[in-house]
Amino acid sequence: MYRVTVDVGGTFTDCLVLDEDSGDLRQFKAPTTPADPSLGLIDAVSKAAAHYEHTLDEFLGRVELLIHGTTLATNTLINEDGALTGMITTKHFRDMLEIRRGHKNVRTSMYNVFVPPYKPLIPRHLRAVAEERVVYTGEVITPLNEDDVRESAERLKEKGVESVAIGFLHSYANPSHELRAAEIAKEVLGEDVYVTTSAEILPVWREWERFSTTAVSAYTGPAVKRYLLALEKRLAENGFGGSLLLMLSDGLVETVENCIPRAVYLIGSGPAAAPAAAVHLGSRNGHGNLLSFDMGGTSIDIGVVMNGEIPTTTEGWVQDERVAIKMVDIMSAGAGGGSIAWVDSLGLLRVGPHSAGSEPGPACYGRGGEDPTVTDADVVLGYIDPDFFLGGDFPLDAGLAAATITEKVAKPLDMTVEEAAQAIMTAVSSFMADEINEVSTRRGIDVRDLTLVAGGGAGPVHAAFIADILNLPDIIVPSVAATYSAFGMFAMDVGRNYARSYITRAADLDPDRVQALYEDMEQEAVAGFEQMGYEASDVSFVRTADLRYIGQFHEVEVAVPVGPGGDLLETAEPELKASVFRDAGGLRMHDAVEAAIDNFHAKHHDLYTFNMPWQGVELLTFRLRAAVPRAPFDLRQIPDGGPDPSHAVMAERDCWFAGEKVATPIYDGGKLLAGNRISGPAVIEEPTTTVVIPATYTATVDNERSYHLTRNDAGSDQAGGAR
Amino acid sequence: MTSPAIDPITLSTIWNSFQSMGREMRHVIDRTAQNYLIAQLHDMAAGIWDAQARTIAVPEGPTSMFLSQQFSVEYILDKFGDDLHPGDIIICNDPYKGYCNHLPDWGFFRPIFYDDELVFVALTRGHMLDTGGAFPGGYFPNGYDIHAEGLMIPPTKIYDRGVERTDVLELIWNNVRWPDGVKIDNYALMAALQVCDNRLVALLDKYSLPVVKDAVEEMLDRMETNVRAQLAEVPDGTYYGESATDDDGTVLDELVWVRCAATIKGDELILDFSESDAQRPGFVNCVYSSTYSRAVAGSFLYFDPVYSEFHNEGSMRPITVVAPEGSVCNAQYPATVGGSPVNVGTQVLEATVNALSKAMPDKAIAGWGRRRGHYIAGTDPRSGERYVQTTTDADGGTGAVYGYDGFEGAMGMSGLGSIRRGSVEEIEIRFPWRAERYQYLPDLSGAGKWRGGSGMLWEVQNMGGDVGVATGSSDGDLTQPPGAGGGEDGPLSHMYIRSGDEVTPARTHRMVQIKTGEILGKVSGGGGGVGNPAERDPAMVLEDVLNEWVTPEHARNVYKVAIDVATMTVDEDETQALRQAAAAAQSAGGTEGQ
Repeated sequence: MYRVTVDVGGTFTDCLVLDEDSGDLRQFKAPTTPADPSLGLIDAVSKAAAHYEHTLDEFLGRVELLIHGTTLATNTLINEDGALTGMITTKHFRDMLEIRRGHKNVRTSMYNVFVPPYKPLIPRHLRAVAEERVVYTGEVITPLNEDDVRESAERLKEKGVESVAIGFLHSYANPSHELRAAEIAKEVLGEDVYVTTSAEILPVWREWERFSTTAVSAYTGPAVKRYLLALEKRLAENGFGGSLLLMLSDGLVETVENCIPRAVYLIGSGPAAAPAAAVHLGSRNGHGNLLSFDMGGTSIDIGVVMNGEIPTTTEGWVQDERVAIKMVDIMSAGAGGGSIAWVDSLGLLRVGPHSAGSEPGPACYGRGGEDPTVTDADVVLGYIDPDFFLGGDFPLDAGLAAATITEKVAKPLDMTVEEAAQAIMTAVSSFMADEINEVSTRRGIDVRDLTLVAGGGAGPVHAAFIADILNLPDIIVPSVAATYSAFGMFAMDVGRNYARSYITRAADLDPDRVQALYEDMEQEAVAGFEQMGYEASDVSFVRTADLRYIGQFHEVEVAVPVGPGGDLLETAEPELKASVFRDAGGLRMHDAVEAAIDNFHAKHHDLYTFNMPWQGVELLTFRLRAAVPRAPFDLRQIPDGGPDPSHAVMAERDCWFAGEKVATPIYDGGKLLAGNRISGPAVIEEPTTTVVIPATYTATVDNERSYHLTRNDAGSDQAGGAR
Repeated sequence: MTSPAIDPITLSTIWNSFQSMGREMRHVIDRTAQNYLIAQLHDMAAGIWDAQARTIAVPEGPTSMFLSQQFSVEYILDKFGDDLHPGDIIICNDPYKGYCNHLPDWGFFRPIFYDDELVFVALTRGHMLDTGGAFPGGYFPNGYDIHAEGLMIPPTKIYDRGVERTDVLELIWNNVRWPDGVKIDNYALMAALQVCDNRLVALLDKYSLPVVKDAVEEMLDRMETNVRAQLAEVPDGTYYGESATDDDGTVLDELVWVRCAATIKGDELILDFSESDAQRPGFVNCVYSSTYSRAVAGSFLYFDPVYSEFHNEGSMRPITVVAPEGSVCNAQYPATVGGSPVNVGTQVLEATVNALSKAMPDKAIAGWGRRRGHYIAGTDPRSGERYVQTTTDADGGTGAVYGYDGFEGAMGMSGLGSIRRGSVEEIEIRFPWRAERYQYLPDLSGAGKWRGGSGMLWEVQNMGGDVGVATGSSDGDLTQPPGAGGGEDGPLSHMYIRSGDEVTPARTHRMVQIKTGEILGKVSGGGGGVGNPAERDPAMVLEDVLNEWVTPEHARNVYKVAIDVATMTVDEDETQALRQAAAAAQSAGGTEGQ
């Protein structure tokens, strides 16, 4: 049997396969097919099937679990090509989505007023209203006027909306009006229109955060729904009978059925897995402070990991949209192999933000791309062998790369083609170095304290040049670099999050109610995992709750401990198997809450340097994280071979480094052995990865065939600047 | 230009670290404070100065809270001299002996030492729930003098070498309403200082004191060079701007004027407020440091946005702010100042921008929608606890700038958008008030080639307990935020109390009563426009009509665009005729006027 992860990026679709019998992990790649990404996914899986000498049907029949990450929702939002979306909201509160919380600049300084004003995803003329009112207790003070809903839905129908978000005040406390309005909207608008409610997207208080997240979901929903249904169908047609799970923005997974109505949970789906890959690789090498760098065809995704912890946030924004669900904290920027180089009106060379994507792709793909891209520069500089791209599956046309760089960059700037390619390389490397510096220094972290973990199709070609600019001492290029996010999906546990709101002061808390909330979530979780094919006994839980001092506005999430048979554990150990957890009685919940309050005082001090034990505490949201452990896997081990790598040299090729033509040794990555040391300049070629090592770095091969690049002067130049 | 002593990555890391410390301090306060103003509306600021009282980092916050605090830091360093130690914290809210702007904004200063050397001073400041005085919240008119506005604390040590001076703090807390809440917020503000101290010491450990000092010199010099180069490009000359507030709250319905003469001479800028009205009997007076902060903030808006988040002492060096003693822009003890962060602080900013938009017409900036705040004091029948409730929710949007319409939603020019709006759900949970209406209405923005952000309708119902309301933090019943470059001023605002069918107007800068069940309503005007409205792209006017920002009548009369409402299209021929007629009338009017 096999387990498979597939990450559909902007340019390539990456596929990793774990053979559960041997523990062997292998990677495959195919171009992304934007019009219907499920085609590219099947292409990638077909390559895997061929490798294992199966037909596609046979192979998919043996796949018991397929975890899938997709940038579809993110790209729909970024490219502004989502559905024409309307909203039905509480009468007299039509503009909450546009008033927001008074944000002017999300990312720019308050001293900068020359910023184009925000345009909401749902413009004012598509925001309709209905008379109704619920208050924070959940009590209905004005019943839903169903005629209003019908009339508003008719109006939106006339305007041709493909999707409708329903958001009423205080719906987290009582969703009945939203649910009824959704029914009516579906009646009026028909089954083809995507209807979503704020209570099912994010049932927590604060209307703008909830409505904004819902609007993103409604805007991206139809595209996500079309894709997932097509994918499910295509997989079923090709013999797939296992579980298909989607990778979510919080690093957890969900079924297709549950993703379709909650498209926003797929924002950041693929890249969210990358930090897990970095943590796995870093921990094997004793590095906890990591810079996860994933460079694909259209974008780079950067995540900073400190002490091995994957950072998450509920304060997230995607572009100008507030997305208040929990997400892995990743920064994306528009620079990748497909980024287009151009000369601006001042005669300056620019790279990006426009990308050739995968269709037509860089000029060297020979698919009609006419603009010079970073990949074209890589070919001209000799880093990428046009006959060995994707292991030779995808021959590149070096002539087209040179021609377009000559035409669009070299001639206007009066340079040779190699000089122009070098200039493109320098410009894109500097841009990426600045972006990385920004991400780390904004967190107050010196980038030189981090180990760069470089993945993505283009990452290993560019990582060392960027690291050189940033003066980074250590780089890890994993053997699975080409399928970096897909690997992250293997490296993490399969988990799901649940939450219920119960707003109460600690003194007034009803322990039985809390117990019931947790049991309810636990039952939902077990049912969900059984649906995915897991045994209830494999599911483990972590209980947490959001607490704050009475009067505060923000909560701190702390562990709510439980023990076997309901006994409180001395160690406040929060994790427990489902079968045992079910026995925990409500009687002892009182003690568990007391312990949670102690945890809260301590964590408040850790986070903010003080606490206030004299002040009362209130509890707001109770959370359950349910997980089953990831399947064990091994990366193939390679034997030791000492420092000399000369047996793996397969050719010598002219490459350009810093404006000089250098006869550069080309190593066959498949022949390298553990312990081999390769001094730059050098190029290592593998079927899915090309690693470029400039003269300033030396690479050492480890026994999983990951490459550790260390800066040659790292010993003399202490990172940090102080001397 | 680059100093050989420091490499670019070290410089950029240190510089960004200072900025991020400012933001992180605000984050700690935001997460831990209990006061709606601080934790929800973000009426708070944090910054870092050096041992020479030079401004190092002032990334975000209401301008009057921190942009002029080099004066406070200098005063504190002088006052305490050698008696400053690691672990000390100094509190201050005194406008006259401490350069603060008004009494509710309590500042907490912490000297930060490295190897026994005083290196930096960090400041956190937030608007307290209460600061004593005759009425809660600080924005009430008619105090007899500043002592009636509340407790006035000169720079006073409340932590001495890490030990809390509890007796001093209790003296303070004993003189405010809601002492338990004020106490939590005080700890929140002080915790943020501790975080800053930890971060600064870590930075110094990592880079060494000499390297950080070199970086600081480089940061200041680079900003100075940058600002001077930009000023040098503006034609020399003096440009005039002005703005008024409705009244001073004591002498009613008499406008109070702020006038700014902006002189650009080579690479220097002088902002002179000498022609402004004299110090007032009412509570709108600004002390000099308040005026200074708004004037400097206004000028920062005209400098290259690429550097805008990095402003520091270097950016201020080429700028001189003049305001004679006894002016409403440089009030003398014991003048009341309670309303000054809104009025006439906003007017200082508006007058500055009004003048500089004439000097730099291709960077013209209009005034933002006026503040429409209030302070309600009452007792919550649900808990029997006293409360004070305030809001920014009713304020109109921002002014237009050359090239862009104003922002809908963003508000409060005096905070440059750093202050947030509240949440309907949060207000209803926390206070005995229910939101009835919160939405835009048409024709509430200043027209222009680029129009201002819109004003709105906001109504809340009192669900229990008769309350007193101070309307000191609002403005705009009689006066308007100025447009720029031929754009219209932002529209007037009004406020009312509705009891059944009976509607009673309520005015700015007053005290009013609201009984249980009555509704407080506000209609706010939005921001001013930039450029001639008759030059606005008809497609944008059509979009505004479609979205009901602008009525078809207004489109026709003001924007000179004829819209066929049935088909929602622009009548091109009629629009052309309307615009030609408007242009002819304007040139005729211009000739007559000469």
